Amino acid sequence: MTSPEEAEAVAAEAARLRRAAGGYAGLDARGALDESIVAGEPSRELLSRWAVIEIEPDEVLYSTRPAGAPITWAKRLLVRLLRQYLVELEARQTRFNIALLERLGSLEQRVEALERDGAGRRDT
Amino acid sequence: MTRVHQVLSSAGPYDAVSVQARLWRELLGRHGFGGADHAAAIDPRVRREFAPLEDLDAGHGDLLVIRYSAYSPRLLGLLDRPQRKLLVYHNVTPPGYFWNHHPGVAVACAVGRAQLPLFARAADVCAADSEFNAADLRAAGATDVRVLPILFDPERLAARGSAPRGEGPLVLVVSRLAPNKRHDLAIAAFSAWANEHGHSARLLCVGEAVSPTYAALVGEMAASVNGHGSVALAGGLSQPDLNAAYATADLVLSMSEHEGFSVPLLEAFHFGVPVLARPAGAMPEVGGDAVLWDRGDDLAVTAELIGLALEDEQLGARLVERGHARLEQFEHARTAERIVATVEEALL
Repeated sequence: MTSPEEAEAVAAEAARLRRAAGGYAGLDARGALDESIVAGEPSRELLSRWAVIEIEPDEVLYSTRPAGAPITWAKRLLVRLLRQYLVELEARQTRFNIALLERLGSLEQRVEALERDGAGRRDT
Repeated sequence: MTRVHQVLSSAGPYDAVSVQARLWRELLGRHGFGGADHAAAIDPRVRREFAPLEDLDAGHGDLLVIRYSAYSPRLLGLLDRPQRKLLVYHNVTPPGYFWNHHPGVAVACAVGRAQLPLFARAADVCAADSEFNAADLRAAGATDVRVLPILFDPERLAARGSAPRGEGPLVLVVSRLAPNKRHDLAIAAFSAWANEHGHSARLLCVGEAVSPTYAALVGEMAASVNGHGSVALAGGLSQPDLNAAYATADLVLSMSEHEGFSVPLLEAFHFGVPVLARPAGAMPEVGGDAVLWDRGDDLAVTAELIGLALEDEQLGARLVERGHARLEQFEHARTAERIVATVEEALL
């Protein structure tokens, strides 16, 4: 019998032996969701991607009510009827987001330059 | 009659916070407390049990129990109310899990974590359902935090509904379909074990999805499993159906990376089902030595652990025995006594 405390080591050895025999060949070391999980602060690249607002109504509109299909259909219809207005709204939000990111980028560059400058002065 | 009102950011039929609110209400009623339960957002299926937050009618001597598990702008208004407040912190998931899947939930998590200090400062008494959660509360500025475990009521687990169909060993994953629960890893490890060992086993994922889009994503993962073994998503199950699933399960599997408590551990212990899990968040303090812990990040090892848990009967029996012993620490009467004492203290 394997005790609960020994089990992990026993399993690790079994996995090693199976791999040596060609087993677990198709098993990815990473999970399918690994890339989508954001550890810590979102990166600059990710922020740039998020800055552009384009929402696909079919992906985000739903109803959790019993027999919610007609409600979902009505919501999607409403969004399609308001599409002209919503596209303008998306465009204006995207304009602000991109301008803000560019401003953030130039501020970062100024901070880096000031830090380099300060470090150079301390060295001399 | 002294009234105790519970307030939630959202109420639903299956989530742990809503279930706890119901169990507390029953307990408080038995101890002579009045009051009602309110939520800022209410799932239509529980409209009879929870009232809208705007209907909260609290007198000066009443107590507000604020169950904190996500940001809700309408909860902030409670902090200005004159009533005494008991903050019960159930943890807020780090937003990084949701940014790419459900931005609205990610925002609620990010702001929820950021605003925890406001609630911790405004509360007269702070409580958390695990030491793991208590650490968050202390970091948010709470100086004196009570740890009140989940109120575990075995009576809820007595009724039996329909058992899952199919043949072969049944592996259960019981948790909301959300990115932090890592169903992708559970499906990958299970599939690898079934294919490598040639077993026709079943993996059943029970729990409501954070959104239909995310449910579709996990559904695609389940559908892509080839060869031996089958994977199915059951969605949210009624308590009797969930009980029937536990009663026929051979293993409960959790690859979750963030848990504020993990009620399914106690449920598995109750039903005598071995548990294989990653030691995430509060799980080690809840599961102790009664869980087969998977501390690494190699899915082949996880696959082999699944095999050990299913095939080594003595190992399974040892885990079940330890699980029953572990349950004694979460005995209903003991926890209920602590909850009532904390409520009475908060009313002083």
